[in-house]
Amino acid sequence: MKWVEDILQTVEMLQSEHLDVRAVSLGIDLFDCADQDVDRACKLAKEKIIAKAASLVRVCESVSRRYGIPIVNKRVAVSPVADVMAGHDSSGLVQFAHALDEAAEEIGIDFIGGYSALVHKGMTTSDRRLIETLPQVLSETSRLCASVNAASTKSGINVDALLLLGDVWVDAARRTAESDGFACCKLSVFANMPEDNPFMAGAYKGIGEPDVVVNIGVSGPGVVKRAIERLLHSGRKCDLGTIAEEIKSTAFRVTRSGELIGREVAKALGAEFGIVDLSLAPTPEVGDSVGEIFEAMGIARVGAPGTTAAVAMLNDAVKKGGAFASSSVGGLSGAFIPLSEDACLARAAEAGHLSLEKLEAMTSVCSVGLDMIALPGDTSPETLAAIAMDELAIGVVNNKTTSVRLIPVPNKKAGDRAVFGGLFGECPILPVPNGGSDAFVRKAGRIPAPLVSLNN
Amino acid sequence: MGKRGAVNTYIVTVMAQDRVGIVRDVSRALAMLGGNITHISQTVMRGYFTLILSVDMPKERTLLEIRQAVERAGEVGEFEVNVRPFEEPPEPEQKSVERFTLSLRGADRSGLIAAATSYLADNRINIEDVYAYVHDGKALILAQVSVPEDVDVEELQTGLQEALKDFDVAAHLQHENIFKATSEVQPVIGLEGMR
Repeated sequence: MKWVEDILQTVEMLQSEHLDVRAVSLGIDLFDCADQDVDRACKLAKEKIIAKAASLVRVCESVSRRYGIPIVNKRVAVSPVADVMAGHDSSGLVQFAHALDEAAEEIGIDFIGGYSALVHKGMTTSDRRLIETLPQVLSETSRLCASVNAASTKSGINVDALLLLGDVWVDAARRTAESDGFACCKLSVFANMPEDNPFMAGAYKGIGEPDVVVNIGVSGPGVVKRAIERLLHSGRKCDLGTIAEEIKSTAFRVTRSGELIGREVAKALGAEFGIVDLSLAPTPEVGDSVGEIFEAMGIARVGAPGTTAAVAMLNDAVKKGGAFASSSVGGLSGAFIPLSEDACLARAAEAGHLSLEKLEAMTSVCSVGLDMIALPGDTSPETLAAIAMDELAIGVVNNKTTSVRLIPVPNKKAGDRAVFGGLFGECPILPVPNGGSDAFVRKAGRIPAPLVSLNN
Repeated sequence: MGKRGAVNTYIVTVMAQDRVGIVRDVSRALAMLGGNITHISQTVMRGYFTLILSVDMPKERTLLEIRQAVERAGEVGEFEVNVRPFEEPPEPEQKSVERFTLSLRGADRSGLIAAATSYLADNRINIEDVYAYVHDGKALILAQVSVPEDVDVEELQTGLQEALKDFDVAAHLQHENIFKATSEVQPVIGLEGMR
């Protein structure tokens, strides 16, 4: 019976294959809270966040029960703080950061994003101040996430900002040395940063977005992996095209469940529905890994030749399935390969199959970049900036989003283990190719926009 | 066509071991009596065929005549046939309902279906379609049910767990839109209640 088969397939996805909604992110505009008086700005922002998101957790739990889909993370993303708090000094920014952190705690969410600056072409005084406060803010708050858009296809790469961020990574890691530099896990640096990304640490409420908007991130690496395994065990002849088709139809189902949940949550909160982000986001749990998908496809050890092609095929099939499923697809929408958050990838790195260079190659065909990469604690700020430049260059030239989340783990060296805990997972510290690009990075300035930007 | 007043309507059920041609044999026998089938539904379970149909018959045909004609359409003793005059069911109470799917999966045990369906009936929940099978001692039961809008679904879900706590099964009651969204191509925004 058709209805029985359809229901069974969905029941299987939900109950055995880890299909969940990874993040419901409520975007809240804070520009109407801007005020020259820092106490008043903090008060207005807290009040608005609590007014709009007080019922976020309750609504998500109710919708989750109605449809039988777990909603793992409930989050808030606010307007870029560097703009909302323009004109304030560093202490004002830090005070505002604490206010956001307190609001997040009060409404019972694990992260609030938007301590952000958009500096792809240049920095305002406020942008610079915000970047300089990052080590203090990220080490003093527990729920606040930060992001910086340091490059774009239209404007090139702001190397001045990346040089500042090089110092930020080192300082933020040093301030949280006891947790292996955990503060850096809450900072993403982007090229072509999406305004509607629901995933942390890069979620912020874009300036072109509605006042209050629900963006949703579905996930389902386990579902895709099981679909491939079922296909391969079905006895059918399976070439790579057949596997791509299977991934595509699975992505369709995953996306549709996300849109349904997103629309229901938005309706209940009186917010607009924004987008579904299709990204396959892994967790350290077995069976919830993007790396295991590559293994199911026939890559014995992730990082082996063929891995980049496998990533490209997976990413493309996911997008095609998702694009047919919904006209509201956005955010990052690709396959994530965060090293510490994916136990399979971390194992491959441990065994020496997956290097920084191979990860960089893989990010050229997927989102979202060099994510959750633990590096030796003595990596210089210039080298960190150079790693970021390489990654952002891939995004800028290919007109796509890329990002870095780098953690120079204090007092540890390549081959040691970095442990961040929970969903952040753990991974070996990757060696950084020794060559020396300090002189190149220190020239500073901006790498101009590529020719591809002249498309009007 | 002016013939409506000249017919009686009957509900006919046929149960038999499945083979090719049962629907043909039954429908041919009814046609020979001048009958016109207006509704039909059939299913096959574990090699057993069941058919239920509604047929308009000329007034002069008797119930006994119809039953015998259908029985004789098969081999001797092959068809188990029931015929009863159709009576218009009472108008259902006009109440808004939402459709949910109940899924039960786990160890098979006598009384499981009785416990689950008693709980549903006690809460005024009608089963519209149900499917169940047991394989290797594991039971799977899927039921499409309609829940009156004034029933609190969260309480219902909690109560269901309580009602089945002595059984080793995972019980889920999920709104049908999740299954429509993941299985049908119509836009999510076009689903019932989404506008």
